[in-house]
Amino acid sequence: MQVVSAVGEAFNNVVLHGYAGRKEASIDLRIQTRRGLIRIELRDWGASFDPTTVPPPAFDTLPESGLGLYIMQSFMEMTYRAGRPNLLTLSKRCLAERAGAVRKAESAT
Amino acid sequence: MRFEISPAKEGVARLVIEGELDAVSVAELRSDLEKLVKARPPVVEVDLSQLRMVDSSGVGALVSLYKRVRAQGGNVNITGLRDQPLAIFRLLRLDRVMLSSDSRVPPSPPAHKQSKSRH
Repeated sequence: MQVVSAVGEAFNNVVLHGYAGRKEASIDLRIQTRRGLIRIELRDWGASFDPTTVPPPAFDTLPESGLGLYIMQSFMEMTYRAGRPNLLTLSKRCLAERAGAVRKAESAT
Repeated sequence: MRFEISPAKEGVARLVIEGELDAVSVAELRSDLEKLVKARPPVVEVDLSQLRMVDSSGVGALVSLYKRVRAQGGNVNITGLRDQPLAIFRLLRLDRVMLSSDSRVPPSPPAHKQSKSRH
């Protein structure tokens, strides 16, 4: 659920902001899973942004926008490299590995 | 995404949203939300019990509805949030403001899905 939410926000962010006004554009999406880690890379050739300059939402004002980046960063580890292409990476440890680790620890005792 | 808006009866209008409310589907909803707000209902009941997913754009539309109805002196009661939409509301701290105390606990799913007319 958190991965789907974060990736959806990342994708929409590129479409709505990076490629604003463009009728056709491309996004390269790669998903890697390895040892309980899911890593998703989105590459785009649109306008870049600097996530460090985006302030967190002012929750007390009930903001109607500017929430996508916060959702991404809350649900997954996010890195961003501006360039051609821009590269946004989202990663997260999967629950399956945690559950497996618990089972392993339990069977060892 | 499917939605249904029932005009105010005895001061209470009703909005039901089902499926996925995201950056694409929210566009289908906006003009009807605009009409709903302009009708100045004293109360808007928002049933989100069949909403499976919401993204920041969908949340933005719901927050906008809430703020505009409240600014007109009305009230918005959001009920039925669960799973991913509830997690998003909690993450964005909207549950504290937009959900009444009795709607923060998701209800049990209905035994039978009712058929409804839809847009």
